[in-house]
Amino acid sequence: MPGQDRLKRDIIDRGLCSSCGMCVGLCPYIKTAGDMVRVINPCGLAEGACYSVCPKVSLDLREMDLAVFGREREDQALGVVREIYFARAGENRAAKAQYGGVASALAAFALKEGMVTGMALAGGGVLCPRPVLARTVDEVNGCAGSKYTAVPSLAVLNRALREGMSGLGLVGRPCQIAAARKAQAGNLAGDQFSNPQAVGMALGLFCFWSLSPDFYRFAFRRVKGEEMVRMDIPLEGPVVETNSGNCRWQLEEIRPFIKKPCSLCFDSTSEWADLSVGSTEFDPSWNTLIVRSDKGRELVDLALRRGAIEIAQYPEERLPLLRRAALNKKMRVLGLPEFEDGKPGFPVVGRYREQIEAQWGGVNQ
Amino acid sequence: MTIMGVREEKPGVRVALTGNESIARGALEAGVAYAASYPGSPTAEVLGTLAKVAGEHDIYVEWSVNEKVALEGAAAASFTGLRSLTVMKADGLNVALDFAGALAISGCRGGMVIVVGDDPAAHSSVREEDSRNLCKVIHLPVLEPSSVEEAMDMTREAFSLSEELALPVVVRCVTRVCHASGDVKLGKIARTEREPEFQRGDRVITFGIALHAMQEQKLTRASALFCKSGFNSYTGPQRAQRLIIASGPSYMYALEALEMLDLSRETGVLKLGTTWPLPESLLLDYLINASEVVFAEEVEPFVEDNVMALAARHWKDIGSITFYGKRSGHVAGPAGPGIGEMNPDILAGSLSKITGAAFKSPVLSGRKGALELLGEKMPGRDLALCAGCPHRASFWSIKTALELDGRGGIVLGDIGCYTLGIARTGYHILQTVHCMGAGVGIAGGMGKLDRFGFNRPVITVVGDSTFYHAAVPALINARYNRSNFMLVLLDNETTAMTGHQPHPGRSSTATGEPADTVHMEDIIRGIGIPCSLQDPYDVEATIDVICRMLQQEGPRVLILRRTCALAAVKGKQKNRVYVDGKRCIGDACGCGRFCSKVFSCPANIWDAESGKARIDEAVCNGCGVCATLCPRQAITVERTV
Repeated sequence: MPGQDRLKRDIIDRGLCSSCGMCVGLCPYIKTAGDMVRVINPCGLAEGACYSVCPKVSLDLREMDLAVFGREREDQALGVVREIYFARAGENRAAKAQYGGVASALAAFALKEGMVTGMALAGGGVLCPRPVLARTVDEVNGCAGSKYTAVPSLAVLNRALREGMSGLGLVGRPCQIAAARKAQAGNLAGDQFSNPQAVGMALGLFCFWSLSPDFYRFAFRRVKGEEMVRMDIPLEGPVVETNSGNCRWQLEEIRPFIKKPCSLCFDSTSEWADLSVGSTEFDPSWNTLIVRSDKGRELVDLALRRGAIEIAQYPEERLPLLRRAALNKKMRVLGLPEFEDGKPGFPVVGRYREQIEAQWGGVNQ
Repeated sequence: MTIMGVREEKPGVRVALTGNESIARGALEAGVAYAASYPGSPTAEVLGTLAKVAGEHDIYVEWSVNEKVALEGAAAASFTGLRSLTVMKADGLNVALDFAGALAISGCRGGMVIVVGDDPAAHSSVREEDSRNLCKVIHLPVLEPSSVEEAMDMTREAFSLSEELALPVVVRCVTRVCHASGDVKLGKIARTEREPEFQRGDRVITFGIALHAMQEQKLTRASALFCKSGFNSYTGPQRAQRLIIASGPSYMYALEALEMLDLSRETGVLKLGTTWPLPESLLLDYLINASEVVFAEEVEPFVEDNVMALAARHWKDIGSITFYGKRSGHVAGPAGPGIGEMNPDILAGSLSKITGAAFKSPVLSGRKGALELLGEKMPGRDLALCAGCPHRASFWSIKTALELDGRGGIVLGDIGCYTLGIARTGYHILQTVHCMGAGVGIAGGMGKLDRFGFNRPVITVVGDSTFYHAAVPALINARYNRSNFMLVLLDNETTAMTGHQPHPGRSSTATGEPADTVHMEDIIRGIGIPCSLQDPYDVEATIDVICRMLQQEGPRVLILRRTCALAAVKGKQKNRVYVDGKRCIGDACGCGRFCSKVFSCPANIWDAESGKARIDEAVCNGCGVCATLCPRQAITVERTV
């Protein structure tokens, strides 16, 4: 497996880094500020863990399915799915939470119940998000609310592992879940990854793309200096909520701010998470919740029993829409002229490709 | 290095002094009343020595903000009739030159001596300027000691000469004299009994060309006095056909070289202690018999050029002479004629070329010889910042922040310990280095080039002492003209490079009296420039604040404040820092020996036996920065407080 030099040349220098943060802090040479991840000095080593954990290189979809779930996916749109629900937080909903507040509720619940020792997530305000390792319910709630710029929050996961913590959890974007799974699966230098208990819970978010921080400078001018309290990107276009009202844009206006790696990304629903959480694109008081693993099932069951979340049936007629959206993203990537299976920035799709095309054709428009 | 020797009251006693102490003693024997300096190697210790004895001899001693101000203050004392001394390195004379040139025209009253330390081979300077050329330009007489004792004698006599000529006199001292220790015979310490006076109506003015004519007359007189000076002497046969004209320590080297080649009997050596203006008639007395003249001096062919011009004027009387020196290429060190220091071997080699006398260059000559002799036993040694130096942490943070910023920001340098930022120890981060304060001025210019499409972020670093010395006008200019750059003020709370002298940011003066501290923050904010403060030992926070400030516009200042590691641990118990052998996994770690190979603090070493990192506890100053950077957190700091 190559090392830092290739990571820099193939990914970082070509603008293909999605700022997951997994390589940050493995060595003293890869650092982060804001949403930037940069190599600050050559390490001189031919091989390195930084390259092997990167979700933008050698991400073999089938191998990942087998490593995480022990089986191949049947659904090429959503990956390995056990159950899918509408869900929302129970009584203790975080004030700033997005939609149903399920991601925050589950993260806080897992911490409260001692199922994880700490949660790596994106905290800070909308304007200056930053990685946080939450160890208490309050700290989780402090991080509630979606961030639309990339936060390299896995850097704090790395740091906590180095400090000897174990049984950690994370709330992350699909690339971050993939990176954490790669790290867990790989036989990497150092002992922080060799502990199978290192990452005990991966809560994935739905994510179609993240924005460069330049978006905030753009948005700041538009809201004329008012404080941006919350942001959302529903189908009808992005909205920024300020204290005196909302500011809305057409999706096309913000497209220039979409990070390059996101337009090459294949995974919009965190396919290797234990649980995936996203919007419903239907009812803003609910989330979509996908249960993927036994561990995820366990957490949901307990959370339901204790009233941390509640669930409802996923409306049958909505499922094709969700699958369509996920497949569309994959088809867009496959249709890019520069697409090459396994080329840096793209996953190894392999024989899944035929199934994707078949299922995409099979979905009702 | 004995302050006891400098203090010794009994005349005639012989003591061992360094060249710099010897200069201080010479000034004491001349009854100096006022001494001012800005520290610079090789003469930094002169003023420090005087400061130690200032109380008992009732003299005023100050570290000034820069050399020009020091010279102006000393001139004031001279105008009132007191004897005054200023000390500076060659670069300092450049700073003071505007005033020095004016003063050479107006003249002075009380004896005024300017000690200028030249640094041939630039041991602790950015260049090896020969200040004699400047002295000639501004019309100041120059004395050049060739030994430690002569440094004392010349300094003492320079005061009388200055009063006789009503002109400041320069004592030009090179590193090998300043830093050598030698045996000196003490004279009597003179107490100043003069009453300073500058009456209404007294005038010391530089104006017009009439004074220029007077200035030339003064030099003509000086030349005449020098012809009788005991600082010029001749050794060798009468009417020698081969004559060496030597000045400074090259005189000693010449004697040694002649002995090595067994040429002493047939070669005359004319020692020139007064190098400007030339003692013309004295020189002509010897030139008239010579058919070959060899020049031995450092650095430039100063005496050589001027003696050759003298000979040209008198060629009818003195006949044909072949001149060997830097111009002819015969007298040259390994780097070429007029470059670097002299030594007996170089001169012996030159004389051998000129005379054909056999000379086998010793094996151990220069770097090449040393490498041959020691081979692999001695590893190469880079110039390096000290263990725990806050600048190392600052440079690492700047480097990191610029990489994170990703816009190809540039870093400009300045003069101080942190000039080592040009080398591996500072990650080769500095891209310009010139003279005191120049980095800020250059940054000011870079920050105005956006209209031409130059959009790289600009960082300039300057030390605390350099800031007070020369950076403030450039900062005012940047604010006034709205330039766009970030100044990182590397504040280690002392003038570290030259030996921890105080500066206007400190709370005491050269003589240890309480001072009115001039806070750099007040100056910067007073100019109207935003200013933040950060401890560079907290690398993560420093990177953060630099990244943030890089996004801002206009001139802005970040002060990275942390006491020089050497000053901080002086007289205190150091923190103990050690590597936990269980956590450090050596080459199995992805760090590639970060602490010893990349971060490169001299205290971070590699233990080949265990294959793990180790701390050299004898060298470590306990800063603990490496502990915060080790990716395995294998380094532990036991704090003593």
